Amino acid sequence: MKITVKFWSYFRDLTECDETLIKIEEGETLGNLHVTVMTKFPKLAKMKNSTLKAVGVDYQTDDFVLSDGDEVSLFPPVQGG
Amino acid sequence: MKTQLTLTPNPIPKSPPAMADGMGAVVTFHGVVRGTEDGESITAIHYEANETMVRHQFELIFAAIENQWPVESIRLVHRVGEVAVNETSLWVEITSPHRAEAFAACQFLIDEMKAKVPIWKRAVR
Repeated sequence: MKITVKFWSYFRDLTECDETLIKIEEGETLGNLHVTVMTKFPKLAKMKNSTLKAVGVDYQTDDFVLSDGDEVSLFPPVQGG
Repeated sequence: MKTQLTLTPNPIPKSPPAMADGMGAVVTFHGVVRGTEDGESITAIHYEANETMVRHQFELIFAAIENQWPVESIRLVHRVGEVAVNETSLWVEITSPHRAEAFAACQFLIDEMKAKVPIWKRAVR
């Protein structure tokens, strides 16, 4: 399956890109994808515990099972206002 | 409940309260860019938004407010891009029959926004 992962805020600085395409096996979870992404972009690892994760426009937890074509967003804590 | 959400790079214009019969309270909140960030002087804040998700998350917050309080209307404007020191970055207006629910809903909205709405800021020095 192919998953598009988008980075926001200073995560783009840490990864030096806006998005990346990750190939995963069927049935893999958002948590597994996060680990794969941190392997590809090690600078994200220091933010592991505070990273927010969304699939489409909704937040999801690490046990969320991904589907082919999902768009995942990874970003630091939000700061609106 | 009427809602209006605006994301704009432009300064937020003043507008008259959205009054309606039976509404006894209008609470407005202005979030303003401070002149310091982490103890250092700044000239502006640059706001970045994941706009599609921002709109969805605000809709969820508005729905939660409608379920909890008899609010008549919510208008919210959040700036994106660069906002100079002393300018308003966030404007919220809530109308309701009585003040207690308007204050409570406004506090709830801003607390939820600061936890869930994907907007980020970067200081401009």
